[in-house]
Amino acid sequence: MRQVAAGEIGGLETIYDRYHTMAYALALRITAETGLAEDVVQDSFLGLWRNAGRYAEAKGSVRGWLLAIVRHRAIDAMRRQRAGIVLGEDADETLPASLTLPDIWPEVAGRLDAEQVRVALTVLPPAQREVIELAYFDGLTQREIADQTHAPLGTVKSRMRLGLVALREQLVAGDYATDRAAVPSSNGKKGVA
Amino acid sequence: MAMTCDRVREYAPGYVLGALDTDDMIAVNDHLAACTKPHPEIDDLGGVLPYLGESLEPVEPPAWLRQSVLAAARADLVSRRRAARVSEVPAEPVPAVAAVAAPVAAVAVRPTALSVVAGQGWQPETDVIPLARARFSRQHRIVTWTTRVAAAVAVVVLAGYALVLQGDLAKAQKIHQEDTNINYVLTQPDTRTAVMVATDGSKASGLAALRPSGNVILRLYDLTPTTGDQIYGVWVSSNNGTPTKVGSFPVDDSGTGYLEVDNVPTSANLWIFVCKEPNANVTKPTGPMIVSGTVSL
Repeated sequence: MRQVAAGEIGGLETIYDRYHTMAYALALRITAETGLAEDVVQDSFLGLWRNAGRYAEAKGSVRGWLLAIVRHRAIDAMRRQRAGIVLGEDADETLPASLTLPDIWPEVAGRLDAEQVRVALTVLPPAQREVIELAYFDGLTQREIADQTHAPLGTVKSRMRLGLVALREQLVAGDYATDRAAVPSSNGKKGVA
Repeated sequence: MAMTCDRVREYAPGYVLGALDTDDMIAVNDHLAACTKPHPEIDDLGGVLPYLGESLEPVEPPAWLRQSVLAAARADLVSRRRAARVSEVPAEPVPAVAAVAAPVAAVAVRPTALSVVAGQGWQPETDVIPLARARFSRQHRIVTWTTRVAAAVAVVVLAGYALVLQGDLAKAQKIHQEDTNINYVLTQPDTRTAVMVATDGSKASGLAALRPSGNVILRLYDLTPTTGDQIYGVWVSSNNGTPTKVGSFPVDDSGTGYLEVDNVPTSANLWIFVCKEPNANVTKPTGPMIVSGTVSL
């Protein structure tokens, strides 16, 4: 990222080569349209390129940051498309604070592959997994999820919390408890268990 | 309702997923920005998100996308460097790049709706374009543009002059042709002539040539130019009868007038006179008479 921040194309090439399939998979999952997904991926890498100076390594991995950008832009693209807005007319360069959360488990990331993450997701109860996926991949709010699933809003909130907690526990297993205390939180304070 | 630490903890799952209503998202943001207490729940839950994206099967995008991304980045880099050069005091630092980026036009960038974004938020901590270099570049541009403007003005002036010359040439050719016509008529044995003299005290004068066939050529000099709809109307009258209009002509700054018409009714004594008429539609002499002459057959 330092290379990218210094305007070195080689740095962007490295990041692209490492994460492009992951970024494209996420964009395609959210947009369900290859052309739009390609636009989102290109825009996301350009967003990373242009905003590399803002990237703070202490707040997480490049992978997490890139995926947050891809997700944000893909959801934004879908909303614009639904609203009939031409894509790119008002592209927002900044990410909401909630989408620039730190990747707090870099050590975990090193030992988990995609298959293990998928397995962790499958152990979630379907209702919990559903609300998380509707929020993450479809960009729905809790209220919209409640409407779509015909579940009370309180139930949706509860499922979302339980699902995230369960998923975190699945992913971290026993490693998380010893790692997270050293990682700064999103508002600049140390996280505590 | 004011956002409290307890409420932030309650809202944390929806917040990290961006699934709260807008007002609540803003309220949580504001609280986190101002709160002095730790909120580890945000990181605890938010850290899950990258893995959600990673849980998907990787999908290989089209091969051209890589080139497109890199080309767009190069174009962005070139654009930023150019922007920095045109500014005497660069507002934004530009990255120090070892190799000059490829020209934008030389790289095929797949046009996408999302690819055009202004360079915002660029904050690399690297070199800037030296001020002296920026000044030199600016002076060079000024000289270049001054030269271009001067060249453009010269082209316009020359083009205008050429048009003037061209206009003069056309006018000379026209006068030459008119003189040729009247000289020819004057050399014909059956041609009758009339000397046209001023009747208004001016220096106007000229000559009228009349053929028995009814062909008349009139050449006048030292006329005052016509303006607007004004014309010089040519009238003929036989034996002091009712004047008949045979034609008209405008006069420019040269002061010369010329008219050649056929089928003019001839008679033993044909009076030809010219009046300066307000327009070409008059059916009888209206303006002041300028010159007149009589042809005796």
